[in-house]
Amino acid sequence: MNYPVWHVAFGSGLLMALVATLHVFVSHFAVGGGLFLVVTERRARRTGDLALLGWLRAHTKFFVLVTVVFGAISGVGIWFTIGLISPTATSNLIHAYVWGWAIEWVFFFLEISAALFYLYGWDKLEPRVHEWFGWIYFVNAYASLVIINGIITFMLTSGTWVKDHQFWSGFFNPTYFPSLALRSAIALALAGVYASITASVQKDLALKARLVRWSAWWTVPSLALLVPLAYWYIRQVPATAWASARGGMPTATGFAVAAAALLAVTLALTLLALVRPARMHLAFSLVVAVAAFGAMASFEMVREAIRKPFVIANYLYANSVYSADGPGGYGEEAINQKGILQTARWVSAREPTGGGEVAAGAEVFRTECESCHSRDGYRGVKRYLALRRWDRERIQAMLGGLGLMHNGAMPAFVGTEAERAALAAYLSTVEPVSTEEAAAASDGATLFGQNCSMCHRASADDPLFQNLARDPGAAVESLKDLTSLFPLMPSLKLSDQQRAALVQWIDGRRGEKGFEAQPQGGSSR
Amino acid sequence: MTDLVPTIDPNPLPAPHWVFDVLLVTTFVLHILAMNLVLGGGALALLARWRLRNGEIGQRISRDLARKLPIFLPAAITLGIAPLLFVQVLYGQFLYTSSILMAWPWFLVLLALTATYYGFYFVSFRGGRPGGGAGVVLACSMILVLWIGFVFSNNLTLSQSPERWGEKYLASPSGWHLNLGEPTLFPRFLHFAVAAVAVGGLFLVVSSLANWKRDPDYARQTLKLGGKAFTYATMAQFIVGIAFLITLPRELRMLPLGDDLLATVLFLVAVAGGLGAIFLMSDALRKENVRVAALLVPGLTAVVIACMSVLRDLLRNGYLQRHLHPGELAVKTQWSVLPLFLLLFLGGVALWFLMLRRYGLLRKDPAPDRPAAP
Repeated sequence: MNYPVWHVAFGSGLLMALVATLHVFVSHFAVGGGLFLVVTERRARRTGDLALLGWLRAHTKFFVLVTVVFGAISGVGIWFTIGLISPTATSNLIHAYVWGWAIEWVFFFLEISAALFYLYGWDKLEPRVHEWFGWIYFVNAYASLVIINGIITFMLTSGTWVKDHQFWSGFFNPTYFPSLALRSAIALALAGVYASITASVQKDLALKARLVRWSAWWTVPSLALLVPLAYWYIRQVPATAWASARGGMPTATGFAVAAAALLAVTLALTLLALVRPARMHLAFSLVVAVAAFGAMASFEMVREAIRKPFVIANYLYANSVYSADGPGGYGEEAINQKGILQTARWVSAREPTGGGEVAAGAEVFRTECESCHSRDGYRGVKRYLALRRWDRERIQAMLGGLGLMHNGAMPAFVGTEAERAALAAYLSTVEPVSTEEAAAASDGATLFGQNCSMCHRASADDPLFQNLARDPGAAVESLKDLTSLFPLMPSLKLSDQQRAALVQWIDGRRGEKGFEAQPQGGSSR
Repeated sequence: MTDLVPTIDPNPLPAPHWVFDVLLVTTFVLHILAMNLVLGGGALALLARWRLRNGEIGQRISRDLARKLPIFLPAAITLGIAPLLFVQVLYGQFLYTSSILMAWPWFLVLLALTATYYGFYFVSFRGGRPGGGAGVVLACSMILVLWIGFVFSNNLTLSQSPERWGEKYLASPSGWHLNLGEPTLFPRFLHFAVAAVAVGGLFLVVSSLANWKRDPDYARQTLKLGGKAFTYATMAQFIVGIAFLITLPRELRMLPLGDDLLATVLFLVAVAGGLGAIFLMSDALRKENVRVAALLVPGLTAVVIACMSVLRDLLRNGYLQRHLHPGELAVKTQWSVLPLFLLLFLGGVALWFLMLRRYGLLRKDPAPDRPAAP
């Protein structure tokens, strides 16, 4: 709203995810692979293993082509992309952390220089000096991770920075060290994963077998180490945020499961390769790499998802609204008073009433929702609405509880009542549902799915299942006026039969065997 | 739409304004030099390959230049990160906005850069093998480099023209705009592109000094090609520069023409330096005085580039005068981290030179004791 919103039909979030996940997969290799190069070179020279040395020389070329070229450009790419999608967050991160970025740039410059010297130095330098360049490379690559890690973790757990705005209190935040350890282990594991790719095309089978075993020494222990490190990391994430990955938010939960599963697959495949290391095929090594990429990308997606609704924890929401007083009136409360269309700079329709509802609603959508949601592409609202079958009135009611949905994954709606009505008017044109159809559901499961499941989980620890009166009559009665139960609930008008069906279904779930004993999941914030 | 220039975020500047100004201009000069080596070096590699097709030396010059491109490009990128960082510190509200308006061309720079990079490596690794499409790949890469430069010119000019933003965003929020309506766009772009050819020529001249004793024939040819490229490009620069000046809005045009003392002095020094460089170079070419061509002219050119870069900064402030509120950004120097940066920066520079030395790049090459006889 302060900045224009880039309209990308398929969803700008997808672009961000693509650039970021590809980059981390290469940049962690750039760190771990650097150590791999020097340690392997030392080993080859100590044992006089010329075949290993020959392979390492070719592997260096591969390493530089992947990390120095793609890694460096995609790193700049993240910067380009967040500036396009979250300019407000970028601006904050630049001003608060410019000296961090500048320090990282020094390391980066040395890192790239050393990588090129190391590559071109194979034919030119004495072994000792060549190894020295390798160490310079690795130390600087690792140092840049040490810096970047501070800023990435700051976004997830901003620590006391929100109060004191001190560089170091945000930098050394609660997840700093677990994240650094986790990422170091990932970097080492990826060194092995990438090494098996160039190993797999070796013609000398004895060498290939040695290489595959040597790579596994990097991958297997590091992957195993990830389990306790991930536990440490998760323990440092606030429980309310982690609840998103434990069922509270479908995206976070799905990626958490995927990360764990793909990690196991990567480990299993690496171990499998050890059975016949000389037969390692390029296709197999690429499958391992794809699995590792999936695990790594899923981990990053979980991190981004549990950070929601914030882009900088407890400070700035993903849609560029400040949680407290923002400059230029871009804080939550100020916008609620003045209205989003009156606050935003980049809108053409400012009047949410008098026939312009849909046009104004489209502007509200772009300003407030489009940095994460597309209309019918990535995280498309059309798909969600098609699932829920809400008419205009129901959308408007539901928007009141936006901040509660999926363990608080979204910021609350900001703006005036009229703007909320306008947004509902617009959304009802995205997926038109008639009033009759919206009111048609009659069985309890469908009613729960359409009207309750955004905020409530069918789980014993969910407030709905905990607190709803056990007496069916009283329960049906209490659902008549939801706002009296909790002010942020939608003023939903269900018919008597629908309420009865819903209560009956909830009672049925409660009675199911094992329902009470289900693991504690995330309750709504 | 109302005033569209975004409000800055509430974080204070973590050091005084001038610190960032100095860092911005300094790192910009370094970046632009490296960029010039990419663009000028690549262009001359193509020229030597195609113009001097029959001459074996032409092929060799082309090959030697092309082999350097995979070094020049990462230099341009890594040295470009710093000015991109510091320009965001000082002018983020303008640059983010213009970037969003031309989001796709801006984003696609990344793909173009990746393709160029791999193209350069392809050409470089193919070495001297004839055919195989190296020339075509190099040509395509150079077209991409030009396109990237053009996108940067579009974005930087658009970031300085807030009055044009609203109309563009209203027409389409999809980020496919360029800034083609900007009168200075093409002269400005050409001003950078032509300068690159001159600096690429200087690189050849400097390398001819390094080869002067070892391989005199080759060194002579490189001096000739590089010197000519420098001279013609710098002459052309006067025409392009005048066109740039003419297309500037009047009040800005007058900045270096007397309205602003600093701008005027810088401008005069740059013009005099440019003329001097042309004169020295053509004289050195005639006398085959490689020392003058390879030491004095680059020194003079560096002064010209530095002056022009400061001038560019003054011009930007002129453009943004109405929208910049220097008081808006409070300053709260981060004393707990700024010294660390300075320390690491100086240490980094020292380490970098140590790396050059250990690689053998700082060893003195046998330079001619006196200019060779004509």
